[in-house]
Amino acid sequence: MSPTSYLFTFEAGPEFPTPRPGQFVNVAVADDLTLRRPFSFAGIPAPGRFDLLVEMRGKGTRALAEKPIGSAVGVLGPLGNEFTLPGADSVSLLVGGGIGVAGLRLLAQELRRGYHRIHALVGARTSPGLLHHVLPSPTGDGEVLIEVATDDGSEGFHGTVAGLLERVLNELDAPARVYCCGPPAMIAATADITAKRGVPCEALLEEMMACGVGACRGCVVATRSGYKSVCSDGPVFDTNELVLEELVRA
Amino acid sequence: MPELTTRIGDLTMRSPVMLASGTVGYGPEYEGVIDFGATGAIVTKTITVEPREGNAPPRLVETPGGLLNAIGLENVGLERFLAEKLPEAAPLPVPIVASVAGTGAGQFAQLAAAVGERDEVAAIELNISCPNVERPRNPVWSDPVAVGEIVSAAREATGKTLSLKLSPNTSDILSVAEAAERAGADALTVANTLPGMRIDIERRRPALGNVTGGLSGRALMPVNLALVWKVAEHVSIPVIGSGGIGDTGDALEFLAAGAVAVQVGTALFATPEAPSEIADGLRNYMEENGFASIDELVGMAREERRTCAETA
Ligand SMILES: Cc1cc2nc3c(=O)[nH]c(=O)nc-3n(C[C@H](O)[C@H](O)[C@H](O)COP(=O)(O)OP(=O)(O)OC[C@H]3O[C@@H](n4cnc5c(N)ncnc54)[C@H](O)[C@@H]3O)c2cc1C
Ligand SMILES: Cc1cc2nc3c(=O)[nH]c(=O)nc-3n(C[C@H](O)[C@H](O)[C@H](O)COP(=O)(O)O)c2cc1C
Ligand code: FES
Repeated sequence: MSPTSYLFTFEAGPEFPTPRPGQFVNVAVADDLTLRRPFSFAGIPAPGRFDLLVEMRGKGTRALAEKPIGSAVGVLGPLGNEFTLPGADSVSLLVGGGIGVAGLRLLAQELRRGYHRIHALVGARTSPGLLHHVLPSPTGDGEVLIEVATDDGSEGFHGTVAGLLERVLNELDAPARVYCCGPPAMIAATADITAKRGVPCEALLEEMMACGVGACRGCVVATRSGYKSVCSDGPVFDTNELVLEELVRA
Repeated sequence: MPELTTRIGDLTMRSPVMLASGTVGYGPEYEGVIDFGATGAIVTKTITVEPREGNAPPRLVETPGGLLNAIGLENVGLERFLAEKLPEAAPLPVPIVASVAGTGAGQFAQLAAAVGERDEVAAIELNISCPNVERPRNPVWSDPVAVGEIVSAAREATGKTLSLKLSPNTSDILSVAEAAERAGADALTVANTLPGMRIDIERRRPALGNVTGGLSGRALMPVNLALVWKVAEHVSIPVIGSGGIGDTGDALEFLAAGAVAVQVGTALFATPEAPSEIADGLRNYMEENGFASIDELVGMAREERRTCAETA
C-alpha cells in the first residue's frame, strides 16, 4: 500500500459481528510476544471478512507480515466505540496523518455508501508515505474529494495536514464534521483548529494496550473528566474532551 | 475423573486456576471472552478507600518475555466498588476475591470489614505489594512488624478467608510470610511484580510515565516459583502461586513447588482462553499420571513428597 504498509484481509466467519467505523481488533500476532497488537478495522470486503491496513513498525507487525497467506490468527473484537456519523447536510472532513488513514478507511467507505460528501485530507512526511489511494476514489461530482499534504512539499500542500485543514475550513461553504487519526501532534493541532471554529471533531487515538476490554487500565488518555481508557471508552473521542497538552506529552 | 476442586480457607474453587488482581478489572469487562465457568475465582482490581486516578500514561511497556505496568492502582474506591462493581460482578459464575490496599493497618481493617460483610465476596486478598504506589524507603512489604499489624487488624475486622499478597522485591520474604501466618492470614499469595524500567531512546526519556513499573509475565516466572518453593516449606497455611503462569506446564511447576492454587494474570492479555486451557491440561495430566485430586500434586517435587511417592 506504501513502501512500509500492507493490507491484510481476514476471513472471520459469519459469527463475527460486523465492525463499525472506529472500532478495532486485538490480533495475536506472535506466540512469543506478551501482548496482542490493536489495529483499526480498515474495510469490510465481504460479510464475515475484514481488512486491516498495517504499517511495519516493529516485531509484531513484521511477524504478521511474515505469516503465510491462509494462516490462522487469533483475533479479539470488534472492540471499542465508533465514530458519530454526520448529519445529512454536512461535509465530512477526514484528516489522516501517515498510517492514521487506516483508522478512517472504513468510515470513508460507509460514508460513501450513504452518499455523504467526503473531503479527505491526507498527510505524510514525504510523498511515498501518502496513503490517500486506499480511500474511495474521488468522484467528478465532488462528493468525494481528496487532497494531500507533505511536510517536505514533495507532493500536494506543502505543510502539515492540519495546515491544509485550516485552509479548507476557511473556504468551506457547508457545515462540517471532522474525523482525525494520526500522530498526537497532528490530533492536537486539528483539535485546536476545529475548536476555534466550533466545528465538531472526533479523533481516533492510539495508546499501548494489554487487555483491550477496559480491565487493566493500561491504555488511558487524559480527558477533562479524568483518565479514560482508549480501548473501552474510546478509541474515538470528542476532541473537546481531551486534555491536549497531556496528549502531546504522553 | 480427577477432581480439580481446591480449598483455601472457606473458599472452595472448582479449579485451582484463579485470575490475578489487576488483570481482569472487576470481572464483567471480560464477560464473553474468558470462560468464567471453568475458572476457580477472580481476584478484583485492588480497591482503596478513596478512588484513585492512577499514574500518568504511558502505563505499559512490553519487554522480552514480559510486561512492565505502572497503573498506579487506578480504582473506583470502596464506595463505588460496593455500590456498583460488586453487584455487577456477582452474577458471573465464579467466586469473587476482593483485593484491597490501605495506607496502614487502620485502612486495611476498614476495607476488610466493608468487603468482608458482603455475601458476594468469597475471600479477601490483602495487597501490600504494589510497587507503583509505595513509599521509596522501608516498604511495607519487607517490614514484618508492619505486615503483622496489617494482617491482625484485617483479621479482627472480618471472618472471611484472608490471603496476604507478598512482594518478590525483598531479601527476607520468610520473615514477612511468618509474620502474616502468625497474625492470622489463611493463605499467602506469592507473589506480586518486580520493579523495573525501560527507556525510550528515541524520545530520551523513561518509557513509562511513572518511570518505573512492575515486571510481570514469563520473565517473572522462575523468580516467583523459587519464592513459592521457599515460602511453602516455611509456613503451614496454603500458598497461591502468581507470576508468569501461562500454560499447564507453568501451573504444574507451581503446584509441584507447593502452591495449592495458581493465578493467571498477564497471560490473559494474549490468551484469554488460558484459564480453561490450563484447567483442561491439569485434568489430562492427572488422568494420565494417576492423580485423583489437586492435593496430590501439591509439593510433588519436594523431597518429602518425593520420598512418600517412592515408598508408597
Ligand atoms: C486503537 C488502535 C488502532 C490502531 N490501528 C492501527 C492500524 O489500523 N494500522 C496500523 O498500522 N497500526 C495501528 N495501530 C498501531 C499498532 O497497534 C502498532 O503499530 C503496533 O502495535 C506495533 O507493534 P509492533 O510489534 O510492530 O511494534 P513494537 O516494536 O512492539 O512497538 C512499536 C510501537 O508500537 C506501539 N505498540 C506496540 N505494542 C502495542 C500494543 N500492544 N498496543 C498499542 N500499541 C502498541 C507502541 O507505540 C510502540 O512504541 C493502532 C493502535 C491502536 C491503539
Ligand atoms: C496491568 C497489571 C495490573 C496489576 N494490578 C494489580 C493490582 O491492582 N493488585 C495486585 O495485587 N496485583 C496487581 N498486578 C499483579 C498481578 O496480580 C500478578 O501478581 C503479577 O502480574 C504476576 O503475575 P502474572 O505474570 O501472571 O501477571 C497487576 C499486574 C498487571 C500486569
Ligand atoms: S488495554 Fe486494558 S484497559 Fe485498555
